[in-house]
Amino acid sequence: MEMALFGDNGSGKTDAWRSYERVLLPPVRDLHRFDTYVGHGGYEALRAVLTREEWTPGKVIEATKASGLRGRGGAGFPTGLKWSFMPPVEPGKPRYIACNGDESEPGTFKDRQLMEYNPHLVFEGILIAAWAMQIDATYLYVRGEYADWIRHMESELAMLYDKGYAGKRILGTDFSSDIVIHKGAGAYICGEETSLLESVEGKRAYPRIKPPFPAQKGLWGCPTTVNNVETLACAPLIINRGAEWFAGVGAEKHPGPVLYGISGHVERPGVYEYPTGMLITDLIEKVAGGVRGGKKLKAIVPGGASVPVLRADMIEGVTMDAESLREAGSMMGTAGMLVMDEDTDMVKFLRRVTRFYHHESCGQCTPCREGTGWIENLVTRIDEGQGTLRDLDILLELCDQMEGRTVCALADAAAWPVRNTIQRFREEFEAKCRQSIYAVA
Amino acid sequence: MPKITIDNKAYAFEGQPKLLQFCLDHGVELPHFCYHPALSVPANCRQCLVEVGMPVRDRETGEIARNDDGEPIIRWGPKMTTSCSVDMADGMAVRTHRSSELVEQAQKDNLEFLLINHPLDCPICDQAGHCPLQNQTYKYGPEGSRFEFRKVQKPKKVVLGPRVMLDGERCINCTRCTRFTDEVSKSHQLTIIERGVKNYPMTPPGEVFDDPYSMNVIDICPVGALTSIDFRFRARIWEMSSAPSITVTNARGANCSYWVRDNLVLRITPRANPHINDYWLPDEDRATYPRFNEQRPDGPRIRGDEGLQPADWETAYARASELLGAADGSNILFLGSPYATVEDNYLLCKLAAALGASPPAYIPHIEPGAGDGWLITDDKTPNAEGCRRLGVHPVDPALVRARLEAGEIAALYALEDDPVASGLFQREEIQDIPVVLHTYHTTNETLAAADVALPAAMVVETVGSYVSEDGHAQRVWPAKAIRGVNRTLRMEMGVSRLDSHGTPFDRWHNAANQVHCKPSWEMLPNIARGLGLEWADASPKEIMREIAQHIGAFEGATYENMGSSGVRLTEIGTLA
Amino acid sequence: MSDFIKHPVVSLPDRAPEPVFSKKELVFTEAEKEQIETFRAQYPTPESAVMKTLWLAQEKFGFLPPEVIRLAADTLGIPFSLAYGVATFYTQYYKAQQGKYVLDVCTCFSCQLCGGYDMVRYLEEKLDIREGETTEDGLFTIQGVECLGACGTAPMLQVTNGPYVHNLSREKLDALIDALKAGKKPPFVSVTLPQDEDDLGGNRRSDAEATEVGQTPPAAETFE
Repeated sequence: MEMALFGDNGSGKTDAWRSYERVLLPPVRDLHRFDTYVGHGGYEALRAVLTREEWTPGKVIEATKASGLRGRGGAGFPTGLKWSFMPPVEPGKPRYIACNGDESEPGTFKDRQLMEYNPHLVFEGILIAAWAMQIDATYLYVRGEYADWIRHMESELAMLYDKGYAGKRILGTDFSSDIVIHKGAGAYICGEETSLLESVEGKRAYPRIKPPFPAQKGLWGCPTTVNNVETLACAPLIINRGAEWFAGVGAEKHPGPVLYGISGHVERPGVYEYPTGMLITDLIEKVAGGVRGGKKLKAIVPGGASVPVLRADMIEGVTMDAESLREAGSMMGTAGMLVMDEDTDMVKFLRRVTRFYHHESCGQCTPCREGTGWIENLVTRIDEGQGTLRDLDILLELCDQMEGRTVCALADAAAWPVRNTIQRFREEFEAKCRQSIYAVA
Repeated sequence: MPKITIDNKAYAFEGQPKLLQFCLDHGVELPHFCYHPALSVPANCRQCLVEVGMPVRDRETGEIARNDDGEPIIRWGPKMTTSCSVDMADGMAVRTHRSSELVEQAQKDNLEFLLINHPLDCPICDQAGHCPLQNQTYKYGPEGSRFEFRKVQKPKKVVLGPRVMLDGERCINCTRCTRFTDEVSKSHQLTIIERGVKNYPMTPPGEVFDDPYSMNVIDICPVGALTSIDFRFRARIWEMSSAPSITVTNARGANCSYWVRDNLVLRITPRANPHINDYWLPDEDRATYPRFNEQRPDGPRIRGDEGLQPADWETAYARASELLGAADGSNILFLGSPYATVEDNYLLCKLAAALGASPPAYIPHIEPGAGDGWLITDDKTPNAEGCRRLGVHPVDPALVRARLEAGEIAALYALEDDPVASGLFQREEIQDIPVVLHTYHTTNETLAAADVALPAAMVVETVGSYVSEDGHAQRVWPAKAIRGVNRTLRMEMGVSRLDSHGTPFDRWHNAANQVHCKPSWEMLPNIARGLGLEWADASPKEIMREIAQHIGAFEGATYENMGSSGVRLTEIGTLA
Repeated sequence: MSDFIKHPVVSLPDRAPEPVFSKKELVFTEAEKEQIETFRAQYPTPESAVMKTLWLAQEKFGFLPPEVIRLAADTLGIPFSLAYGVATFYTQYYKAQQGKYVLDVCTCFSCQLCGGYDMVRYLEEKLDIREGETTEDGLFTIQGVECLGACGTAPMLQVTNGPYVHNLSREKLDALIDALKAGKKPPFVSVTLPQDEDDLGGNRRSDAEATEVGQTPPAAETFE
């Protein structure tokens, strides 16, 4: 486990992944229990940063930067860099982390596995980040649908407080930091970092304009860093094993262990932990057992509903990391991969995706509020055989009209799958269109 | 001083203005809906997008990199930005629709989106004609719509409260109304409900939108979603003229516009004045407009054997002079009025002094606890402070009663108030006063005792000044014409009434609704001359200049200084 | 989730509704008030505790008619409009009475491809109601919902904002309905990680009430 996996060439194009030993979800029975977690070296990283002199907050941030860790929530922003955006400590001005466990991106179900099987890794990660940025309180935002998991985590968190691992004077040091679990109530938009802040503040979750960025004005106007659950779960690994180790796992520019959520038409769907940079074909064929029933692969969506769909002929040699996926014409997103077999109707698929964004648009700003509905109308009309080729043109134009013109990225996320699905499966859409705009329905 | 370049033109700026406000202040029009200078900036309408760039700086020297022409090289942002939310910075470059096709297209695209679920009911919408959405669509919007689906249907004709009605379909979710109730009036009576395209503003169930400032949301609504229950469908905007003025409901002196058609006041809306009311007006100030139209007198009257009989002005003046002249000056009670202008009260003071009477006093109209510390005051008159500064003080009812009982009141001159209704005199008591001269606005209880009843022009018909509770002197312009036009008024009519639509529908020379009255500053000199005093006719402007010159409490309060937003008078310590 | 674009009508909520709960019922117990105080203490502003308080109120009253939202707002000392705006924004807060068991069937993305709509249609047929409706006996409501974050065990559903039911099939739905009719709520099911099956020979949690593994999803018959 100490060796750098794939370290030499920074790619997962070998079979080395087969010997990968899991670190986010290591195979330990009942690891979700505080005692088991501590028994297996848990909270040693926290103890180290709080008690060892070399681990100043600045050093923890440096190590995180050096590790190359990038956010696992979708955007892939370098985590250490984000932490360094926090302004210097100001007396009387609280500082917060908002830990994003909203996990509403369709096709994404990996953070829930961390909450279920290794919640203390998340807590420990939160507390290490709290030390690094001198945080007063962390609000762990968990979507309301995860009620059962919230219940489990609440009891583990209570234990953590009892044992002196969170709250006042953690582990007997001078450092105090709280963790509060905030339960959502059903709104995809809350996964967007600034609307998550609004939701924690008890408001309708309308995204905020940036700047100011959360690091300047976050929760209640105070410096705040928003990080995904899985991102923070990496922090103890970096402390325990070193930034170099982390940087050596997986893809060179997008390193580390990652939880792949594979769903759709595969034999063995589920969450798998492997290094970044895995070949998509390996993930489907070797990890998830291949396309179900021996069917042919038609398309995949590599990282949640918002990222562009890739045709089967586009994934040869493509690995799961930001760089490779960008070259291939998609994105890493949440690494929640949807696999579609040859029987999939791409128009119906897109229709459902557009419906999702229409339903989840918060309605705050114009292009998204109005555009998502218009798009759903057009795709529905095409799917029902009443569309025209002109509708396809309008759809692509509407994508341009929405993208980059809204407060948050939901409009972008709604536009990308439309544009890419039409471009990459145009013949399917054309086949469903009426051939003349003058034809009478 | 830091500089910014907008459409290749350089502007210097100070402080940290937001880009949109700066553009608007400098005549660079940018379309926008959600932005309002007095509210927070949500940047949700996305209409004011512009391209913003910053100069490229040399990494080592920090110097601004320049091209061969010596122009700074600009690195443009990857996306367009809402100008309402941009903090300006030195060297910033901006491209609006005037120099960027991208911005021009974005404005079109955004308007297309705004309109897909907006009803095409402009012909019957109250907002039509002064609707930002309509105007900006004409100017910046696409020519047609490509939207061929069912529009979202939302609740219409929803009575939000006693004064405000909602049409949910017209709403573009700019949230100005909810921001107003959250940030300005702080009544928190409105919220956006639902989500996404179903969003619209609403009160929570069981709550009534009865905020004393509720009607401001009608003014700031950039579409016709929020309309006035009272004014709805009463007039099209282009049928009316409006005149700048102030409200007279209380002593705050809030600035307003009186909207008039054919000499009927149809509504009152706020006029921005940062010193007094910003952009706002309390609902009670707006509700008073019928008093300018109803119960108005029809010319002067003189008491004869069969009660008050119509007379012409000369006869009425002569009778008034005759009655006043017959009384001993020291036995004449002059009542000034906090409803009347400074000029009118001043002339009354002069008359009292000339006749050797005690200075006029006024009847205060205070409702303790009615005020809210903002735009509503306990004092329900517009000019008590003006009276005070003239040396006209609240009347002492005990003293008046004592004089009445001692038979020391031979004559009463009651200026523009109702001494009976306000309880200074009982109905029977006032009959005991031998002579009652009364100038009045609307039919009232004192009239029954009047020997000469002289109808007086109201704030919407005159020129004059008022001083607010906190010493802000402001002048008003005539909004509607009266019968028997005065030359000064006639000249002011032409400049006071904004006829922005070139409307052929409003006719101020239409006699049907002209009230047969005169301003007190015209009546008083006529009466004075009848008493043998050598008073020349003077316009209110001249009267005010005289006041400003001679009375320290009005120093600087000339019409020139007051302009359209008034002048703050210096605090007066002790007044004689 | 009914087909909004086909019938894009937003209705006006009853503006002066008859309260569902009497004044006497409309109170928080001392313990609940204490709990709400705890929520308040977790945040710098009372407004922030509104979501947790609404959750508590919904668990107590079953749903959130206006008077309950007002109670929550008043208890926190925040404007009613704020709490009402929040309650209408989030879909998990029930603004109207639902069936005793709300069956939220995921039809989004992975579940769509793996038969989510088949499950909705089957439930509709079985319970003789349409999506969004409640059975006459008040027991069941069916809702098609957006992604619930359990794509690996698609198709799946959630029972009344509580337990997840994974790897749905018609047989499994039959059993679920029977159990719910008998008053038995499904247990918390721990879905075994595929790698744990290989490394640990099964689920790692010894306290798991029930476990399941991701299955090869069925082919969807209806997409929508």
